[in-house]
Amino acid sequence: MDNASETDAFVLNGASVRYGEHLALDTLNLRITEGERVALVGPSGSGKTTLLRLLNASVIPQSGTVNSLGVALSADAGSTAAGRRHQSRIGLIPQDLGLVPNLRVIQNVVAGKFGTQGLLAAIRSVISPNQREREKAYTLLARVGIPEKLFERTDTLSGGQQQRVAVARALYQQPEALLADEPVSSVDPARALDTVSLLTSLAEEEGVTLVMSLHNLDLAREYFPRLIGLRSGQVAFDSPAAEVPEGAFEKLYELSEEELLG
Amino acid sequence: MSLLGAPSHQNSDQLGRSLWQGSSVRWILLSIGAALVVSFLVLGLSPRDLVPGEGGLQLTQRFFKAAIQPATDYQADTVPEDAPSFLGQVGSAVVATIRLAAAGMGIALLVGFPLGIFACRHRCSPGSENCLLRRVTRLTIALMRSVHELIWAVIFLAAFGLTELVAAVALAIPYAGTLAKIFAEMLDESPSSPASALESVGASRTQTLLLARLPGVIGEVVAYAFYRFECAVRSSAVLGFLGIPTLGYFLKLSFDELQFNEVWTYLYALLALVIILDLWSRSLRSRLV
Repeated sequence: MDNASETDAFVLNGASVRYGEHLALDTLNLRITEGERVALVGPSGSGKTTLLRLLNASVIPQSGTVNSLGVALSADAGSTAAGRRHQSRIGLIPQDLGLVPNLRVIQNVVAGKFGTQGLLAAIRSVISPNQREREKAYTLLARVGIPEKLFERTDTLSGGQQQRVAVARALYQQPEALLADEPVSSVDPARALDTVSLLTSLAEEEGVTLVMSLHNLDLAREYFPRLIGLRSGQVAFDSPAAEVPEGAFEKLYELSEEELLG
Repeated sequence: MSLLGAPSHQNSDQLGRSLWQGSSVRWILLSIGAALVVSFLVLGLSPRDLVPGEGGLQLTQRFFKAAIQPATDYQADTVPEDAPSFLGQVGSAVVATIRLAAAGMGIALLVGFPLGIFACRHRCSPGSENCLLRRVTRLTIALMRSVHELIWAVIFLAAFGLTELVAAVALAIPYAGTLAKIFAEMLDESPSSPASALESVGASRTQTLLLARLPGVIGEVVAYAFYRFECAVRSSAVLGFLGIPTLGYFLKLSFDELQFNEVWTYLYALLALVIILDLWSRSLRSRLV
């Protein structure tokens, strides 16, 4: 694979990630263009979360290269000011949402900007958000459908509403790319549909790259133009939703003899 | 193979197995018991020591009889003319006790809070969880805690003379250490999901420590600070034995003069003080957590 071009959001060249003995990602080659909407499918432990962590520079590949939004990941990503600024360009909705339960919704939303703020500015924005921050948080909450919850305590909200707060926090970053890790695993099927359609339509309106890991194959097929199947840290298939080979999904989730006996 | 069928041979052998086999619990309990017996023997303790002698018995009786008749006025025959009223003196002793406890606790909070943050492992960068600053801070905290406030006060008494400020500092040193230790442990154990979510979008570790971890434990921190304030009130009373005019000072004076009714008045004042503090902290806690 050649070098990243200007329209590439993420480019992986033979990237491998190893946790101790476990090879989480095995020489992965991948190219995701700006504005693309991609679903990552695959069983637990197939490397979906690690791939998302690689895309936002939370982990660094032991071998191979990763280019994320035009930045080549290096070993000190994340810890330097430049690393922090790079990470702040990528919105993230983690599986467990990562909201502070006993803070108000607005306080969780403005936390999206920490990556571009110093310590004192961050403290000020949480303790006493200014007019501009209030308006921005309100606008984003309105976009995800819960403007009236602005000053509620976050843990008084339902699971689906908290998910929307996490989405609003990610949008507050004004991200160039959005990553979502299994956003539907903790909510019921109707909410799952809501969340996926909300995120895909937001990404489309904003022209933001969206990469989402999903267990639900039907949702993935319906809402994402491109599907990447992962298995044991390798790409099993990578194709437009309509062209996923017959039986490829089933094969992805089929337990190998090794796993059955394991 | 049916789920509720007869257990296989291998399993039924294991059914009679002791739940405590290989556990260290029984050794710990046995050691505690042995230590108890040995220390009794070494110290020559016997239950008879708990029974007071002839004169002691009378004194004990007088003391406990006085419990139902706490004094409302001086019990001595001669009282200096310029002495304040007895209840006024109790009141000023209570105020002095609270003042010393509050001053000591105020210093302890100011010092203990930042120390707790530096002693927290999430302050260090990942991979080096026991960074130098953390180790130095933890050593400092241990040193502060290892000496009791009474001993700090005795040391300072010799060096500076015992003023209320010196007593407050003596109280604050071990209290700041304890607050810092507990505070750091609370932060260490705080839920990490909000912090890691924000760190992966560029937040610094100090930002997430103060704004994503601290809010999660703030209720516990406040509750613990209140509990320590209660302890500080008792300590402040005890520091009176060294001459600070808190409840302990007057309690000792009355005790030395065998004025047990007065002693009980001071004891009840201390009890009331602690109970009121407890009620207050409970109502605050329920609003915070």
